[in-house]
Amino acid sequence: MKKRSLTKYLFALPGFCFFAFAMLIPFMMGIHIAFTDWDGVASTYTFVGLANFAAIFRDTRMYAPFFNTLEFALLGTIIGNLIPLGLALLVNSPYRRMSSIARVIFFVPVCLSSVLTAFLWRFIYHEFFPKVFGCRNILGSTRWVILGIVLIGVWNTAGTNMLIYLSGLKNIPVELYEAAKMDGASPCQQFGRITLPLLMPSFSVCVTLTLTSWLKEFATTLSATGGGPGGASRTISIYVFDNLYKYYKAGYGQAISLLFALMLIVVGLLVSSFFRRREIEL
Amino acid sequence: MRKIRISSLLYILLMLLAICIFIMPVALAVLTSFKSKPELAKSILSLPATWNLDNYKGAVERSDFLNSLKNTVAVVAPSVVIIVLCSSMSGYTVARHSRDSRALRLLDKVYLASLMIPFQILMIPVYKIYKSLHLLNTLHGMIFMLVGTSIAYSSFLYVGFVKGIPHEIEESAYMDGCSEFRCFWLITFPLLKAISATVAALHTMWLWNDFNIAVILLQKENVRTITIKQFYFFGKYTADYGMAFAAAILSMIPVVACFMFMQKYIVNGIVVGAVKS
Repeated sequence: MKKRSLTKYLFALPGFCFFAFAMLIPFMMGIHIAFTDWDGVASTYTFVGLANFAAIFRDTRMYAPFFNTLEFALLGTIIGNLIPLGLALLVNSPYRRMSSIARVIFFVPVCLSSVLTAFLWRFIYHEFFPKVFGCRNILGSTRWVILGIVLIGVWNTAGTNMLIYLSGLKNIPVELYEAAKMDGASPCQQFGRITLPLLMPSFSVCVTLTLTSWLKEFATTLSATGGGPGGASRTISIYVFDNLYKYYKAGYGQAISLLFALMLIVVGLLVSSFFRRREIEL
Repeated sequence: MRKIRISSLLYILLMLLAICIFIMPVALAVLTSFKSKPELAKSILSLPATWNLDNYKGAVERSDFLNSLKNTVAVVAPSVVIIVLCSSMSGYTVARHSRDSRALRLLDKVYLASLMIPFQILMIPVYKIYKSLHLLNTLHGMIFMLVGTSIAYSSFLYVGFVKGIPHEIEESAYMDGCSEFRCFWLITFPLLKAISATVAALHTMWLWNDFNIAVILLQKENVRTITIKQFYFFGKYTADYGMAFAAAILSMIPVVACFMFMQKYIVNGIVVGAVKS
């Protein structure tokens, strides 16, 4: 019996070693680095207490990335949920063959890396739209660049949310619609009174996931614009990255990301509890 | 009757429009990859005059494609195998023993909490650790990191699945004197085939496309994976779209093929993961 009780921990050990090496230890170390003036290169550094955190609030370079991140999150969450919901409604239809082909097509972009996607769309914004429709490249405009990147990201990831909404739609009993039709409810009423309320669990998952992933936005933006033009699309994540590789202020960058992670967790918990309270049990 | 016909026509039109928008960028990339520079300058939409492979040859030579493909496979394949082995064991033990072990319950909670941590917070410390251990720019260093950041989510997928498997079969094997370790590999692991396929397919896709970790760890030319190679290649060759797209298509083929074959498992994995979390 004694031997068996030890084996159960042995089973978890190899995975835990990797986890500890890649996440737990760096996480602990990160907390320490945030209180130092490490430059990312030197082997020595000093402990500076709360100086880094105080500096964040005085840093004028911090404003733009902060508001850009909020704009990314807002636009990304709205567009990144409306479009997948629309796609799921399209795919969840009586035309079996067409919708199963469509489902595969909508999911293919998910397989592509964000670097590749950003490159494809850079070509479309830069060459295709101006030559075919005669409009300007929105990635070059300080005003519209964030919307441009959000559209890239939504094309890239819509398939995932579509699948989650689709499985939510499939779980709604058909009898409810039949009963509503008998009582003379219009398609719009059916959507508003049956579909939307019963999709709440899917909303809570998708909105939380898209919101937190857009707050973390990094790869697509870095490869689409590098944060430009003139810092107009620079996010907090890119600012942290720049502090390590460009400005040699790793300690300060770490302090930002620590504060940022805290914000992210609070936002994630708030949003998911907001939707959880609106879920209906059948 | 007529009203129904109009609405279904509208529906089909909308569907076709959506399909076109989703497929257009990829189709455009395929077209462009076969065109020569003067051809592209003349028209973006026209079909290429001949389906010549010059761009592909150029891309393979200039982007050092074979080397980065080799790096990617050398990183992704072992990582996926290790992830499946480690997380199946850990998911199994959490599912079976967490009721009578506080440590395992804690482990489950820690894994779940770690899913909320953004990678940005690990970026700088990981760079520091790797620098002092001389693991920067090494493929095995990359594997450790990919596995370590994936374990939590994949264990989590396994826990849910193992709970749905009756434990009577294992119990009877213990009675016959089989050790728990042997019993797991001989009896339980084969029963986990479906979820193992899901975990493997999802992670093949994710790790193949990983950018965040690679951009920090793989700075040297000779160790770069495809994604990171392209990040720099696309920056350099924006003037020669034909060739850049040829490189893009080449790197797309393996993941899209993986998705086509493992479609069922990938779809299942995403839905299960979303519902559980």
